[in-house]
Amino acid sequence: MANDPFRALAHPLRRDIVERLSGGAATVGEVTRDFGVSKPTISRHLKTLEEAGVVTRVVDGRTHRLALEPQALAEASGWIESQRARWEGLFDAVGEYLDERRERS
Amino acid sequence: MREERSQELRIERTYEASAEEVFDAWTSAEVLRRWMHAGEDWSTPVAEVDLRVGGTVRIVMRRPDGGDAEMHGEYREIERPHRLVMAWTFADRPENRQLIELSFTESGGATTVVMVNTEISGEERRESQERGWRACLEELARALAG
Repeated sequence: MANDPFRALAHPLRRDIVERLSGGAATVGEVTRDFGVSKPTISRHLKTLEEAGVVTRVVDGRTHRLALEPQALAEASGWIESQRARWEGLFDAVGEYLDERRERS
Repeated sequence: MREERSQELRIERTYEASAEEVFDAWTSAEVLRRWMHAGEDWSTPVAEVDLRVGGTVRIVMRRPDGGDAEMHGEYREIERPHRLVMAWTFADRPENRQLIELSFTESGGATTVVMVNTEISGEERRESQERGWRACLEELARALAG
């Protein structure tokens, strides 16, 4: 799935980009400074983040400014919480079952 | 070898029962049926457990409108009553496959279950994981809220 924030955050370099952007919008140069990787590599990772809707790019002449899209991240975070609630439900079901067995015996 | 999977969540709970009892509850079709029983109008027509390595867990929930949602698990490791590993997929997010590792530790008549749940996907297996994206998301949530 191309627009998947989970996939977008599956690489440490992309997480670094997102973290730097959490302080506010910045240019591509500012965000990827000292990464020590090639421009094509950075472009590829930025493309993944943009496709996932996690990062948006505004082109102003020769300056490309990147910004975070908080909604996409909130969705990813919300999904993790829903997973926790689901599995907690299984822990509850195990507890109820054990309680009933103990009462019967 | 580096840890290549990203950690998603960890849940721990202690039950007043032996490790065998708790393990058997975790692998019982009755418990799975109760787990997925979302509400009065919903039913769970199928809850099947084939408890062997490579065997599957299958749960079908029927919505009030008659539509079905299906959940799938596959047993990867079974060491009764200490350890259980499953791969799991929920119908609402089929591309997300979760690896669920459960440990059962009995002490003084009570058993503590620890679940560690990680996401399995092709990309994540290829790409190195230096730290979990869950931690990353939490940091971000704080940054965005602040």
